[in-house]
Amino acid sequence: MEFGPIIRALKRNKVRFLLIVVQIAITLAVVTNAITMIRDESVKMTKSSGFDDDNIVWVRTKPFAPGFKDLPYRIAAVNADLRAIQATPGVVAVTNTNFLPWQGGGSSGEVAAGDGDGSKFRTQMYYNTPGILDTLGVHLVSGRILRDTDIDDDPNSKAPSTAIISRDLERLVFKGKSAVGRQLKDSDNTVVNVVGTFDPFYNPYGWPIHEYAIFYAGHVSRRGAMYLVRVAPGSMKQTVPLIEQRMLQTNNGRNIDMKTISEIKDNFFVQGRIVRTAMSLVIVLIVLVTGLGIVGVTAFSVTERRKQIGTRRALGATKGAVLRYFLLENWIVTNAGLILGVAAAYGLNVLLVTNAAGAKLDWRFVAAAVVLLWLQGIVATLIPAMRATRFSPVIATRGA
Amino acid sequence: MLLYNVRIAIKSLRRNPVLTAVIIGGIALGICASTTFTTVRHMFARDPLPGKSSNLFYVRMDNWDPHTPYPSNQNTTGPTIPPQISYRDAMALMRSNLPVRQTAAFTAMMTVYPDPRVARPSTEGVRLCSSDFFTMFDVPFAYGGPWDKRADAKAEQVVVIDDAMNQKLFGGANSVGKRVRIEDREFTVVGVLKPWRPFIRMYDLNGNFIAQPEPVYLPFSLTPGMQIRTSGNSDGWKSAGTTFEDFLNSDVDWVQLWVELRSPAEAEQYHRFVDGYVLEEKKHGRFERPLMNRVTSLRDLMGEFGVITPQVTAMAAISILFLAICALNLTGLLLGKFLARAPEVSVRRALGATRINVFLQHITECELVGLAGGALGMLLSIGAMKLIGKFISATSVIALDSEMILAALFLSLGAGLLAGLYPAWRICSVQPAVQLKV
Repeated sequence: MEFGPIIRALKRNKVRFLLIVVQIAITLAVVTNAITMIRDESVKMTKSSGFDDDNIVWVRTKPFAPGFKDLPYRIAAVNADLRAIQATPGVVAVTNTNFLPWQGGGSSGEVAAGDGDGSKFRTQMYYNTPGILDTLGVHLVSGRILRDTDIDDDPNSKAPSTAIISRDLERLVFKGKSAVGRQLKDSDNTVVNVVGTFDPFYNPYGWPIHEYAIFYAGHVSRRGAMYLVRVAPGSMKQTVPLIEQRMLQTNNGRNIDMKTISEIKDNFFVQGRIVRTAMSLVIVLIVLVTGLGIVGVTAFSVTERRKQIGTRRALGATKGAVLRYFLLENWIVTNAGLILGVAAAYGLNVLLVTNAAGAKLDWRFVAAAVVLLWLQGIVATLIPAMRATRFSPVIATRGA
Repeated sequence: MLLYNVRIAIKSLRRNPVLTAVIIGGIALGICASTTFTTVRHMFARDPLPGKSSNLFYVRMDNWDPHTPYPSNQNTTGPTIPPQISYRDAMALMRSNLPVRQTAAFTAMMTVYPDPRVARPSTEGVRLCSSDFFTMFDVPFAYGGPWDKRADAKAEQVVVIDDAMNQKLFGGANSVGKRVRIEDREFTVVGVLKPWRPFIRMYDLNGNFIAQPEPVYLPFSLTPGMQIRTSGNSDGWKSAGTTFEDFLNSDVDWVQLWVELRSPAEAEQYHRFVDGYVLEEKKHGRFERPLMNRVTSLRDLMGEFGVITPQVTAMAAISILFLAICALNLTGLLLGKFLARAPEVSVRRALGATRINVFLQHITECELVGLAGGALGMLLSIGAMKLIGKFISATSVIALDSEMILAALFLSLGAGLLAGLYPAWRICSVQPAVQLKV
């Protein structure tokens, strides 16, 4: 191998090759950190709620008829809506609830085990009619589902309320024992009878309580009734207008807003989508630009060394030997860049973690990026190096 | 001389259009990426109310559960303190005459009843605030203006509507003095806003702060009479009772209080006033947690509420590195291009051109490339920003402001200069004698 001559040649053109070394180093640093950011966002975005997100639509009524001021009127309207929605072709299940997944929040409160040591646990809390589990597509783990008779519409009632809780909340509060038949106390010391547990449940929240939920039996109507409706797979388009039409037929003293859970989820992950698109684009472009840089510099050094190449060919070097020389030269430069780049990648990562976005670099991404840049170096060198192999030995005999 | 250099540079660039396109394209990509992402960051980071944001202060008080602190939010960096205050505390603090201006505020959903011939009734976002709100946050009026202090004091039925609402209700005409029904009462329009879409809804950083401002504004003092409940966040740790009266007197936090103070000294004084109030309330069994009140300027609040997400900063940093790569790349390409021209330059040198002449001529060429790439990059980034704006929200507009155009211009000239220095120096130090030997 021609290590000796290559090193000596590199020494004579320090700046030119240093440019490539620095470019490769920065490229490696940027590519690895960009992949880390993409991975970070993707993990958040692909985390499953456990619900049938694609087939659920959120319906919100905005009442304006004066009758809605009156609680019994509102409850009657909710029950009429539930019947009308359930009877709509394409509808699988419906619930009247203030739960809405994928907004990064919701409503929460603190509970303690009724017979425990009084330690309180923060959890998400929602009201809903019995259809909630069927609507979300979540299954009952133990006990029973909510029933219509569990709902108590009297706002001044002091009687215990009825609820089902997520399995993760059961584990947290009851320490591995069954919650069914036990009681919870909320912050007002109101007693809650737990009649069942369900799984899975995941709804990202501002506080780390994503997996904890209590579903109370109840109606939600004060600021306009809200519903989650699950439709048969693939029938969202036809069913949504039908639901609106039937609800207005039932009572047209209100306006109706509808949003699919997919839309709400897309909206929640706006930043993640921007990060993913932008960083993918940056990776492609930066590899392309650095590749072009290598092509440019190699092409230049090929042109500059026409005479030497001709001389070597005249002295018996094969085309393969010339090609090998340039590939080897690039490989040495690339490796120098990659060694510097690994250091730069970890350096940039530390800077980003402390000052901005926070995921640690995964060594596998570094390894993948190193392989990518090796390939890039070979491809980018091959283009001008192939030209070098075509120089005729005759060049050597000509004057400058 | 400059003109001559520019002419030569253009000639040189036209000689090899492919190489020129690659060079300019590379710089354009770098400028596009770096301007786009630094502008996006700038939109979040820039002062939403220049000259004012250090005089507007947001008040927070720790009235939380004596046994457990307010749960900390993973997105914010500030103290673990409820982000809003209770109605009763807001009303009590508003009695202070220390602030130049002040407003308690919250957002609600209320039903607006247009003339039935015009449109169906609809539920609209309403901001409950005092007359000072409009002055404090530089809200622009097309017709009329804010209601007066008397309307605040007497809870008069007056309303300010935004441009879009005025279009919908009154066809865009000057509607000051006209009447509109909201819920079960008649309101008189006193002001109509100009189209107003701040990128950050700086007056309410709770919840979705890139949302559009509310279309309807009513006096805060209507709250008890009309029993208006917030549609924004409300945080509580103990029972809020059953009646509306109970709710207003509870420790549930759902009101935002802004005060305008003239100086840090006044802010200090106001902070002492809040502390004094809380110490007094402690005697009555409220505020059982350790004394913690915050009077935070809008500027600092934006930091605490995490308006700039770390991802936005990281993308800006990475896009600057991308520009650095493009500049390095340019250096490599120019080096090749210039050195290939050594014989030609040698002739010029032999005919009397000085090194400085040669150097300046090549730097001119670099700057020309930098400017062309910069202009192209800025055009590209305008497109990219439109796309990102649409991504963020249907009505968000991300646009280059003069500050960012200057920054982009500076970046492209800087990139051209930095990239060109070494190649230009190499070419001007070529030995003519070596090149001219036959």
